[in-house]
Amino acid sequence: MKKIKFLLFIILAFGALSCGKKGDDEKPKVAVVISTLNNPWFVVLAEAAAENAQKLGYETKIFDSQNNPATESDNFENLISSGYDAILFNPTDADGSISNILKAKEAGVPVFCMDREVNSNDAATAQILSDNYSGCVEIGIEFVKALGGKGKYVEIIGLVGDNNTWARSGGFHSVVDKFPDLQMVAQQSGDFDRNKAMEVLETIMQANPDIEAVFCGNDAMALGAYQALQAAGKADRVKVFGFDGADEVVEKIDEGKIVATGMQHPLVMAEYAARYADEYFKGKRDFPQRVPVEVELVVKENAERFLKK
Amino acid sequence: MKYAILIVLIALLGYNSVYFEKLSDRNSKTSESFDFATYADSLYTQGLLKAETPIAIDQLLVEVKADQNRAFETYGNRLGIGNSAYFMVSVEGTVAEKTDGLLKVRDKSGTVWPVDTEFIFGNAIRDASRLVKLTDFKTNAEFNALSEALNSIIREEAIPEDLEELRQGDEVTVNGAIKLSKNEDLTIRVVPVQIDKP
Repeated sequence: MKKIKFLLFIILAFGALSCGKKGDDEKPKVAVVISTLNNPWFVVLAEAAAENAQKLGYETKIFDSQNNPATESDNFENLISSGYDAILFNPTDADGSISNILKAKEAGVPVFCMDREVNSNDAATAQILSDNYSGCVEIGIEFVKALGGKGKYVEIIGLVGDNNTWARSGGFHSVVDKFPDLQMVAQQSGDFDRNKAMEVLETIMQANPDIEAVFCGNDAMALGAYQALQAAGKADRVKVFGFDGADEVVEKIDEGKIVATGMQHPLVMAEYAARYADEYFKGKRDFPQRVPVEVELVVKENAERFLKK
Repeated sequence: MKYAILIVLIALLGYNSVYFEKLSDRNSKTSESFDFATYADSLYTQGLLKAETPIAIDQLLVEVKADQNRAFETYGNRLGIGNSAYFMVSVEGTVAEKTDGLLKVRDKSGTVWPVDTEFIFGNAIRDASRLVKLTDFKTNAEFNALSEALNSIIREEAIPEDLEELRQGDEVTVNGAIKLSKNEDLTIRVVPVQIDKP
């Protein structure tokens, strides 16, 4: 009996020790944690990141944080305890997400941020980010030219806690604010959401029926704004500007219904994040902390180049 | 009387417990400790104005046509991933036209180059200069704030001063930044750093 007990103990101890360790032939697992899967743009980012990691031979799973830092925190705890080896991460909050990254770092799990920046230059292993600021400087210049440097306008920003919101707004205002005859009558958040942006603009237009342009922090909101203008019979008079490069917006730019957007490249960011994780597994450690990805200006003159055939 | 004191007290507490600020001001507080204006000023006077004369614009375009990748690598600067890059160039010639926001310079071959004296914004000059690295700053927002400070000096002080005495037919040398792309032929627009009348 004693011998059986001892044998059982040895087996259990061995099992416990080997639990969490991967066999030599077992491939690392890569988690893709995305701020929200309610926005098609982030679905593209998530699926592309997972696809790229799978192509490199890794098992992947997508986690949806539902734009909620608490859900994101739960996701991190789950994936760390489930033995994931790297995280391709699209954060919900520039400050709030840092603690989650640090939790992973402490557990020896590298985190590669995609698209959204966190306010720390030593938490994530690397951050691959759209150059939102430069993209919106170019949109700002187009905006001033389209309005002849004067008129009333509205800005609908994205999520208040997201760095991209402020990088875009900052780039835009670095230009537009230097033209004193351009008057911003309202700046409100549309949470990057089409319906919310539509409602926000409808309300703003009640007090400001004479606006001449709307700048939106993403294309979903630009489409919402366009819808509100259409319903008010003002779509031909009020100029709409977006950001992202969504297919529907590029089509509307080509048709002359929306003036401009900034083309982001989620596929490029996803590809590099997966590639960096692969390089990490192969021993690389010196990654650039921040890697900006170019944003291209899309206007009527070059929209055809960006149209999906 | 005691109700009046109570009302004043509640009003004072209420006033001090709530404050309003513009959404855009909320995020501009991260860089308060760093003096971007002073740093940009020294970057302009000690860096940009003392830099060697950059490649002539027409010469650059010849080299880009001959070997795009080599020319981008040798003369251009692209931070991160992308198909375009910024280049520092020089344009020598005579003033063909001077209007609000635009200077047209005709070189010896007769080509007219547009110098945009109005829209001096963004990261064109900072990046074309190759004098500052992304890693010198903690966040992208701070790195961009440097561009804004540098652009302000050039747009609001240096270029208006350079333009003041300039007339049509004057000989000039313009040093400035341009953006070129490997993907498409962008309209060339020189963002000036300095307009020099010999």
